[in-house]
Amino acid sequence: MIGRISPPVVILLVLLCAAIVPPFVFLSYSSLHYLDASGAFGAFTFEHFAAIFSSRTFGPMLLNSLVYALGSALLALFIGAAQAWLAERTDASFRQILYVASIVSLGIPYVLYIVAWLLFLGKAGPFNASLQYLFGGTTPYINVYSLGGMIFVEGLLWSPLAFLLLSPVFRNSDASFEEAASVCGAGLLSTLRYVTFRMARPALLALGFLVFIKASESFEVPALVGLPGSTRVLTTAIYQKLTLDIPPDVGSASAFGVMLLVVMAILLQIYSRVAAQTHRYQTVTGKGFRPRVVRLGRWRYAAGALIVTIPFIVVVVPLATILWAALLPYYQPFSMKALPLLGVGNFVQVLNSPSFRGAIVNSLVLGAAAATLVTVLSAIAGWCVARRVAGSRLIDTLAALPLVFPAIVLGLAFLEIFVHGGARIYGSLLSLVVVSVVAYMPYGLRYAQLGVIQIHPELEEAAAIAGARQTGTFFRVVLPLLVPALISCWLFVFLLAVRAVSLLLLLVGPDSQIVAVTLFDFWNNGQIGELAALGCVWTAIMTVFSVAFLIVARRYQLPIA
Amino acid sequence: MLHVENLTKVYAPGESGGGIRATSFHVTAGEFYTLLGPSGCGKTTTLRSVAGLEEPSSGRMTLEDRVIFDSSTGVFVPANQRRLGMVFQSYAVWPHMSVFDNTAFPLRMSRGKRWSNTEIRQRVTHTLETMGLAAFADRSAAQLSGGQQQRLALARALVAEPRLLLLDEPLSNLDALLREQMRSELRRLQKDVGVTAVYVTHDQSEALALSDRIAVMHNGRIAQIGTPQQIYHQPGNAFVATFVGRSNLLRGALLERDKDGNARIATALGPVLCRAPTVTTGLAPGAALIRPEHIVLTAIAGTGDASLNRFRGRVSQVAFLGEATECVVQVGNVEILVRGPAGQYGGSEAVDVFFPPERTLAIAVDEL
Repeated sequence: MIGRISPPVVILLVLLCAAIVPPFVFLSYSSLHYLDASGAFGAFTFEHFAAIFSSRTFGPMLLNSLVYALGSALLALFIGAAQAWLAERTDASFRQILYVASIVSLGIPYVLYIVAWLLFLGKAGPFNASLQYLFGGTTPYINVYSLGGMIFVEGLLWSPLAFLLLSPVFRNSDASFEEAASVCGAGLLSTLRYVTFRMARPALLALGFLVFIKASESFEVPALVGLPGSTRVLTTAIYQKLTLDIPPDVGSASAFGVMLLVVMAILLQIYSRVAAQTHRYQTVTGKGFRPRVVRLGRWRYAAGALIVTIPFIVVVVPLATILWAALLPYYQPFSMKALPLLGVGNFVQVLNSPSFRGAIVNSLVLGAAAATLVTVLSAIAGWCVARRVAGSRLIDTLAALPLVFPAIVLGLAFLEIFVHGGARIYGSLLSLVVVSVVAYMPYGLRYAQLGVIQIHPELEEAAAIAGARQTGTFFRVVLPLLVPALISCWLFVFLLAVRAVSLLLLLVGPDSQIVAVTLFDFWNNGQIGELAALGCVWTAIMTVFSVAFLIVARRYQLPIA
Repeated sequence: MLHVENLTKVYAPGESGGGIRATSFHVTAGEFYTLLGPSGCGKTTTLRSVAGLEEPSSGRMTLEDRVIFDSSTGVFVPANQRRLGMVFQSYAVWPHMSVFDNTAFPLRMSRGKRWSNTEIRQRVTHTLETMGLAAFADRSAAQLSGGQQQRLALARALVAEPRLLLLDEPLSNLDALLREQMRSELRRLQKDVGVTAVYVTHDQSEALALSDRIAVMHNGRIAQIGTPQQIYHQPGNAFVATFVGRSNLLRGALLERDKDGNARIATALGPVLCRAPTVTTGLAPGAALIRPEHIVLTAIAGTGDASLNRFRGRVSQVAFLGEATECVVQVGNVEILVRGPAGQYGGSEAVDVFFPPERTLAIAVDEL
């Protein structure tokens, strides 16, 4: 029973090794070898690394990455925490709007969201135009293609998730801590400062760090907002090595990738320390627990106004901008004289085009296949890890390894595997599914593991005493109780898989076009009308999934991420 | 019925739960056998080893003369083949199944006998009736109250006529009133059904009220095995004496022991005469044990000189408990706890404390 590793665990370990070891091997191998024009490996070399360190742009690039990640984390945290507190601890008006807006935003593809802000804040966008109208002048007041612009868009991009992750923290904190503070004479602001936010600090810190990590490995904002203004970070450097240089400089790109891996590994190590602290102030108590609602009194409507404003900025402005662009035959800023031009031509074109319809179908198939595989694997692996069966530590470590890969680097690693490994599946939908499963396995595992932890071990032991075998126990007791967690795991992975560009950007082929990458190409080709129309259609489809996700998660009181 | 020999379970450092060392006991058929001890003493580990949920490091166990575990021959019958019933501390009632399905589960999983659907229905209905749950059969188990879940757990444990019923602190999650009620119900039911039961608890009053025999456990070993009366009145050592019931323990050297089983112990108060049925001769360290309710308090007898087992003291604290009064009497440097009928003393009076020799017991003190 103890010390022996069971066959399912062995199979799981072999599968995980086969999926996770090759990317590391190929990436580090190509970073240390010359490659000829055909991509074949040559002699061993440190030159790729040497070139990076001796380059004069490397220092500024690191600084950019740091400032960008830090700024985005702070912005997302600030917006998220303010929303979470207002929604969970006060009687402010219109609180439900926050949830609806956050959920809708989960379904918006990154590219679409970024493009919306670029159109809104761009040189000819409505924002600069209004400033010029108000204060005169003909030069744009703000330049969105800058580090500040990157921080703004990335911070907004993460704020809904920050809100969804923080709201349980505020929801679950026991009111008696705050009541104790007010009995001691503290006013609302002092209580907030010394008790409410102090107790939430470990969670805030952990979340801020998470956004910091996600921003340092992000690609979409640096590529769309940063590159036009020549603000380069590590992830975009990799992309440029592969797309601007002819032939693609795979060696240098891999060297950058290896360095990013090291950085990520260090950051994640720190993060796991920080996250372990979150439970320090775990305050949920069984008896007499009730979160108190702070009465804002006169401030109620002011807070209500804030509650309306945040989603307006985070969701309504970008969606309205996109809708405007989708209805115009060719893009122009908002104005009265453009009104007669509005029409549904772009929608007709998008929905009639077989290639766009193909992209939608491909995306749905990809998301569903990846989510299903991840869910099945996670259910088994999550049970093994949570119940600490022999070999489970190895499963846990292996399945968490892809986290150190920034999406663009994992894409690059698989590109090399598909090219060198002789794999014929390069460019096929199947290859995208495989890569997505590897990339999102850590999230799935986390979900399933949390689900299993909520199942008391005695429920399984009772089945064993009643005469059930291990498999019988798994199917008749564990699985039925795990269903809500698995549904929510499926939806979460689905949303992740269809939303991101960077993971699959280097891997899609002519037969495996997907929506997120198509949107990216549209932007680079300047096809704004088609981009906006396809984006609208896709956002509508995704909203259905994200609403389902929220309903399941809330119904069964599961964590959102 | 159940024989446990030299059972040892060693945990790796860092793992939770108390290990057990060379534990042996046997349970006879129809008996209500209790493992009693403080948390971490190894009682739950012992029970889980009997259940087959943990594999002991060494030892041997037989159930109805069949070996279920033997480290020397490598026999380990897994939990699902031992045909046992078990009630868990958390009840472990499956929330996704109805009351009926919960109860029917052991029958559906049965390996020996194939139960037809009508047989299952009859049997489950009958068991639920005995437990007073018949009306809830179609309800989801998650909708039951704590006491009902408890009864359902018991119904599930008994439905397949297990060879042995194991109970892991089943009453600890109930509130006080319900606990007393369930306690007597449990005892009646066990005798009616005639099932052999092994019960784990840290609550001494539960153990005394329910058991035919008790094994008191301490630090992974059995400190004493006996009937509730034996455990209470003839504790084998200081640990049992202090863990079961309240006691005054006066440590001291054994002065002498006669062949009638009387001994004198030199305590801090002076020599105390007591019965010594178990203590061996020799001047081993020992103690005189006297229960608070056996001490006789009297007003000062006048003469002032202390006679046999009689000491002069002063009442320092009085607590009124309703059915009795407890007071602390300061005798020299020693505090003696005395329990007596209500309203005897008000406090701060000089009194004589008398330890009746036939109620005072010399016991060995194992250095803990």
